[in-house]
This record gives sequence, C-alpha cells and structure tokens, in this order.
Amino acid sequence: MSAALVVEDLVAGYEPGLPIVRGASLSVAAGEILAVLGPNGAGKSTLGKAVAGIVPVASGSVRLDGREIAGDPAHRMVRLGLGFVPQTENVFAELSVEDNLDLAAAVVGAPRAQRIAGIFELFPDLARQRRLDAGRLSGGQRQMLAVARALVASPRVLVLDEPSAGLSPKLAQHVFAKLAEIARDGVAIVLVEQNVRAALALAGRAVVLVEGRVRLEGEAAALAIDPRLRDAFLGRGEAA
Amino acid sequence: MLQLLVDGLVVGSTVALGAIGLTLTYSLLRFANFGHGELLTIGAYAALAVVGALAGFAAPPIGPFSFGWPLLAALPVAAAATALVALAVDAALFARLRARGAAIVLIIASFGAALALRNLLLFSFGPLPEYYSREIQIAIALVPRSVLGGMRVTPDQAFVLGLALACMAALHLFLSRTVLGKAMRATAMNPDLARVAGIDTAAVIRATWILGATLASVAGVFAGLTGQVRTTLGFELLLPMFAAAILGGVGSVLGAAIGGLVVGLAESLLTPVLGAEYRAASAFLAIIAILLVRPQGLFGKAAR
Repeated sequence: MSAALVVEDLVAGYEPGLPIVRGASLSVAAGEILAVLGPNGAGKSTLGKAVAGIVPVASGSVRLDGREIAGDPAHRMVRLGLGFVPQTENVFAELSVEDNLDLAAAVVGAPRAQRIAGIFELFPDLARQRRLDAGRLSGGQRQMLAVARALVASPRVLVLDEPSAGLSPKLAQHVFAKLAEIARDGVAIVLVEQNVRAALALAGRAVVLVEGRVRLEGEAAALAIDPRLRDAFLGRGEAA
Repeated sequence: MLQLLVDGLVVGSTVALGAIGLTLTYSLLRFANFGHGELLTIGAYAALAVVGALAGFAAPPIGPFSFGWPLLAALPVAAAATALVALAVDAALFARLRARGAAIVLIIASFGAALALRNLLLFSFGPLPEYYSREIQIAIALVPRSVLGGMRVTPDQAFVLGLALACMAALHLFLSRTVLGKAMRATAMNPDLARVAGIDTAAVIRATWILGATLASVAGVFAGLTGQVRTTLGFELLLPMFAAAILGGVGSVLGAAIGGLVVGLAESLLTPVLGAEYRAASAFLAIIAILLVRPQGLFGKAAR
C-alpha cells in the first residue's frame, strides 16, 4: 500500500531555534488510521499542526501523495487534500452549521450543495441543527461539525488533534466510530490522541512520540500489550 | 429639536461609514488603525481631483443637488485610489510589523503613517479648504416650523443619508451572503482555523483593506460634500469614529453603524446644552454613560 502522507525527520516549533518536534518520521496509507501517542509535552499536537502548516517547519519533509508540502501555507494544503481538525476552537462559532460547511466547501471550489448533502448523510445530527450557530452546539456535536468541516473539502489525508478531548467516553466512542467510517472510504487518518487505549483500539498502527521524536512504532494491537509503551509514557528507558 | 436629529443623523452616517472600516480592520488585524482618518481625507481629495479634472465638461447640478455627474463618477475612482493607498501602506508597513507580532508597534506605526499621509496631502493640495461645488442649495421643509421647531433637509444631506444607508445595507448583505464576506467573518473569529479551513487569509486581509478604504472614501466625500474638503477632514473625524466603534462594540459592524449614528446624534443634540465648543466632548459623555451600563458596547460580546 503506498503512503498518502509521509513525514520524514520533521523539526518544527513555535519559536526559531526552539524545536518541539525534533526529527519525527511517520507515514500513513489511504484508508489507514495511524495513532500518534505520547506523554504530555511530547510534541504530538505540534507535529499535527506542523504537518497542517500552522506551526513553522524548521527542516524535514512532509509529502502528500508524493508532493512536498512542508512550509506551504495551510490554506494551500487544504486545497491539495490535507484536512486538519484542531483540538479546540475548531468551528466558527458565530456562523451557522450550514455556513461552516458551505464556506469550507466554497473556498476549495467544491460543488457545495452536493458535498453538504453528503456530509449531512454521514452526520444526520448536524443536518437537524443546520441553521443553528455552531457556538450553540453541544461538545460532541461541535466535534462532529469540526470533522465534517474538514471532510467537506474531500481530503485524502485527515489529521485530527485529540478529537476525544473533553468528551464523555460515550461521545468519544461515537466520534471514533465516525472516523472508522471515514477511513473505510479511503481517507488516511492521523489521529493525535491522549486516550491511548481508545486510539489503539481504533488505529491500525501507532507511533509513540517522546520529546519530539518517535520512540516506538508498530501495529496498534501489538503496541497495546507492549510493556515499552508504559515505559515511554513514564519516561523510563530508551526503547528501540 | 427635530432639526438637530437630521443634522445628527447626517454627521452620524459619515462617522458610521468610517467606523465600520475601522472596526473591520480591527477585527481582522487586531490593531487600532490611527491612520484610518487619513483614508477619509485621501478619498475626499481623490474625488476633488477627479471633479477638478472633469471641470472642462459642462456638468450642471443634478436635480436639486449641488453637484453634477462628475462627483458621482469620482466616487468609484476615489474608492480605488484610497484602496490602493491602504494596500500600499499595509504592504510597506503594517504587514512587515504584523509578521513580528507586536500590536503596540502597529498602533504607533499607524500614527506615523497618518502624519506622513496628512502632510503629503498638505504638500500636494495646500492648506486652503476646497469645495466640490459652490452651488447654493435650498433646504426642503419636511416638518413645518410650528412642530418642535420644524425639520429641513438639504438635498445633499438627503443624498448622504440615503447613500450611507444603502452602503450599510449592501455591506450587511455582502458579509452575510457572499463567500468572501463569510470568509472575512470567519477570519475575524479565528484566523488559525480560517487557514486550516482553506481560507487564504492574506487575500481576505487585502479584501478587508479594500472594503474599509472604499467605505472611508465614501465617508470622506460625504464630509467634503456637507462641509469642506481640507487636509484635517479625516483626522477631525478620527475620535468620533473610534468612539462609534467602541460604543457599538469593537469588531461589530452593526455596532459601528449604530454607534456612528449615536455619536452623530449625541454631538448634535447635546451641542445646544453644552455649547458648540464642547461638541466633540458631548459625544464622549454619551459614550461614557452607555459604557457604564454596557461595558462591552452595544453589540460587543462580554469578556469571559
């Protein structure tokens, strides 16, 4: 299976000379879900943001379907097929649900009505709330809208920054079920997550980031029972 | 009393158009542009230059108005010229400072840009006030003098009020119905999210300058039409514009529009009570009163 997104030796951070991601590499194929795990401060979110173009990349490579996109403006990445769902403030609160989706479809030149109809089929809850301001949605609905907003641009790769944060376990499970559905449609998903158990249950593969570098990687099922996973989170040892 | 209302609304509509531009650039660029007044002045002088250039054509006043078609033709030219200046100042000054991320530096730079532009206009056009037209207008009595002192309005005042309201309605439709308008609102709400949602925020910022400058140029022409065209025209309206933007709730376009009208009315209605020398101060008294009750402004959101 050829990789949809390949990240190699990525160095990135908010301030020049102060990298948070220090040479991380990963790849994800179409239809695959890759979990990016790691303890607090490991650089997981920064990695996602750097891939999406909103944190400056100092060096390294990000290739989308073979095309180098590291350092490209974020809006161009969206047009090239990379979607990003931030952890918080991930919907335009003062726009209606429909306007959030319509705007995201319009700026990439997508057939708006057709795409929105497809999204509402996937997220019937949102269809019922289409006229409501996004700021008035519940936490779970808001997260769904954030995912839907990214999907309306038909991304080939979708990067999500902790989509289960702040949600009840039941709602998180609902979001994860939708992600599985989206991956089945052929979208490559990079899932940055704190919820290790749930992420490993959903993902096919996972990487564990420690201090901005990939410490562990492998099949999710194998990693779930690997004692080195706990060590990585507890800051013990230097696993291979 | 009724006459003061009309006078206040005419001044207020000019202030409102300026304040809308001010609040638009504030909400997208997160800085108070003290050079916004100069955009009004540039618009007023650009229109004056066009009217002067067309002076050779026989252009009698249109109907009851004091001006002929050259002033109407000058409006889009003035808007384009003002937008070009705004984009040039942004590219040469503000964009570079934005990249370094210090809002206070941007504010001070906008003072500098204002001074430079004002003196450039003074150098180019001289210190003497100018007029678009020296035609005499006859005010139309809308309400007889026996009722609360009566209400009279000149055709030019009616034109200013009508066009200002039309501009505000068009702006409302633009922001609520068009993709670019929604992209502007989205960028103002959350610039990072706008970028990852596929919005070219640099293009949106350019569009905002063009829109703000266009409204400023129209406001500048209004101020020149109902008064004089002079190099301090925009500077004199700067504080009322800020007052209107703050009163309406910074970042709210509807707020800036209503705020502008309130400032105009406050100036007009309080002048007979406090005296003409306190005209500018009277608007601020009204603002203090309103902000004491509603600190976030009329349409602003409360800080959490």
